[in-house]
Amino acid sequence: MNNAIAQTTALLSTCALLLTACGGGGSTVTSSPSSTTNNTATDTATTTGTVSGAIPIGIAVAQTSNVALLGQEQVAGAKLAEKYFNSKGGVNGTPIKLVFQDTSGDEAGAINAFQTLINKDKVIGIVGPTLSQQAFSADPVGERAKVPIIGPSNTAKNIPEIGDYIARVSAPVSVVAPNSVKAALKQNPQLKKVAVFYAQNDAFSKSETEIFQQTVKEQGLELVTVQKFQTSDTDFQSQATNAINLKPDLVIISGLAADGGNLVRQLRELGYKGLIVGGNGLNTSNILPVCKALCDGVLIAQAYSPEHPGEINTAFRKAYTDEYKKEPPQFSAQAFAAVQVYVEALQALDKKSKLNKLQLPELRTQLNKQILVGTYNTPLGEIGFTPIGEVVQKDFYVAQIKMSKDGSQGKFTFIK
Amino acid sequence: MNIYLLLQQLLNGLSIGSVYAIFALGYTLVYSILGIINLAHGAIFTLGAYFTYALMGGNFGFNGLLANASLPIKLPFAISLILGSTLAGLVGVVMERIAFKPLRRQGSDPLLTVVSSLGVAVVIVNLIQYLVGAESYTYPANTYGNLAPAINFGSSENPIPIRSVQVVIFTVSAVIVVILTYFINRTKYGKAMQAIAEDPTTASLLGINSDRFIILTFFISSFLAGLAGTLVASSVSIAGPYFGIAFGLRGLAVIVLGGLGSIPGAVLGGLVIGLVEAFVPAEYSGYKDAVAYGILFIMLLVRPQGLLGRRFIQKV
Repeated sequence: MNNAIAQTTALLSTCALLLTACGGGGSTVTSSPSSTTNNTATDTATTTGTVSGAIPIGIAVAQTSNVALLGQEQVAGAKLAEKYFNSKGGVNGTPIKLVFQDTSGDEAGAINAFQTLINKDKVIGIVGPTLSQQAFSADPVGERAKVPIIGPSNTAKNIPEIGDYIARVSAPVSVVAPNSVKAALKQNPQLKKVAVFYAQNDAFSKSETEIFQQTVKEQGLELVTVQKFQTSDTDFQSQATNAINLKPDLVIISGLAADGGNLVRQLRELGYKGLIVGGNGLNTSNILPVCKALCDGVLIAQAYSPEHPGEINTAFRKAYTDEYKKEPPQFSAQAFAAVQVYVEALQALDKKSKLNKLQLPELRTQLNKQILVGTYNTPLGEIGFTPIGEVVQKDFYVAQIKMSKDGSQGKFTFIK
Repeated sequence: MNIYLLLQQLLNGLSIGSVYAIFALGYTLVYSILGIINLAHGAIFTLGAYFTYALMGGNFGFNGLLANASLPIKLPFAISLILGSTLAGLVGVVMERIAFKPLRRQGSDPLLTVVSSLGVAVVIVNLIQYLVGAESYTYPANTYGNLAPAINFGSSENPIPIRSVQVVIFTVSAVIVVILTYFINRTKYGKAMQAIAEDPTTASLLGINSDRFIILTFFISSFLAGLAGTLVASSVSIAGPYFGIAFGLRGLAVIVLGGLGSIPGAVLGGLVIGLVEAFVPAEYSGYKDAVAYGILFIMLLVRPQGLLGRRFIQKV
């Protein structure tokens, strides 16, 4: 009896240790030393051969860690894209197959996931990673291996500049962010004093706050204070009090969902009555359960609107709401668009030269060229790329959070 | 920093410090009885917060196995808090039976028990994510009834607003500390626990069923963790399955600072760490951990037995 218990315990502990490897370390399987390569000499050995069967596209986003909030939305969007395009015949008859690798929330996890996808899963290209912070470390891995990378949600500046193989479908913060400040001015033309908050340990939030602060100056507003915090913080009372004492009419927050939501909540609880603008990190319905009724009124600029007209968005929106019983968020739409870019670029490439005749390295290079020249009619609207891989997007929106009285229900309503 | 901000930070520090205290008390109890550090304590903390959320009728998001599930009942916060913490306590007992008892029977190295507790932590955290996803969850807005969101401790000209939830947390934690101290020092059960902590063999010769008291210890310890988790979650939401990890580590710093195995030490350590953190300027919030562990480091150099520990560590 005792022995049996001991064995169970031993088994449990082993499982637990294995779980640690997945939970904390990022991807489930790190590639063996022979296939973990950063240099081109060994790359050729591991990447020869052609693609047969379903075409593998890598999805490297954060499925665990505190970034999983965003990553799970991306997984949802990508999966819908896989289903949608395969039901339409895939790449001229050949289906696509998404290969998921968890990046966790840090740089090491993203690098591991990229290496596994490139060397072990032999994907033709990758959608990922979730955070700009991760992209700065992981994208060079793709660049060195000459594998196309499409960032689904990296909006910091200088992401496409990382290399020739790096593109993104997420419009940079410099284009999106100013819209929300303008919307705030429209709602309250009298507003003068602005307090800015940002998460100083997050590359994206830092880059976003620069844009916000510049916009504040350009609009002739007075920047009364800049308060810093960490994405891991939960208590914002001293920053909030500091800012409230200066009597701002507008508060602008650059952070992520959990910290941003808590900051909004504490600002309101401590008596702040003015307008609040949230950055892209708050642009997820995941902040709604954090600040509940107190989220009401927060303005957030959008690169996506569920109400965008067009056939593909209608299909995407319907598939999403059928499956998840809520409106699709921007992160899901962007992940969908990223997969779509691969599918349509592959279709175009296949017409020029049959995909199954191309060696993998050649296919990846050709595909990268094709991605950059195409235009794509996605749920985000029509998008294309500049020669360095920066997205060119036509439509932007501003949404305002509307919550029910008890705070249990809420949504992003799009304002004109 | 002006005097008002200073006062505000003092009250903040007391509030968070009091949660550290009840959390660390759980660590300390197990340490006194078994001489091990239970690394699953942080995971139980998280679990308690989720239990309370579910008991209040909270709905789970779309990412886990239990997508959109909720219990058919909606209990008030106070009852959910007690029931949720009790459930956390029961999980603690199950954990003791499965992961600790078999090792103890075999007389294994305490280090193995620590590894086993780490395993339990990982299992719990991943199970939570598997079941209810990684989303944040917040207790309903009326958690504290019609209490105003903030209480002004200053004048109307120089407000010192404190979030009401912080005051509630401090009060509940203080009450718990008093009850626990009474329980340990004044009741038969408490004295039996002290006897086991002092010397398990002698205690069992005196007719104390040590196995029963180990179960009781784990129950109380995990109950406290669940309670702390719920209190913190009512202030800042459940940030996901990893919510308790940072707390688990902070709790370690607290008990070492206070003196391993000392109950007043855990309380004092909690308050000290809470206050020190509150006085780290907001823009350097990233260094809160560094400051807390820095103090711990200095303490270990100057007074390795901790603030209230004795060289011969007095247990419980």
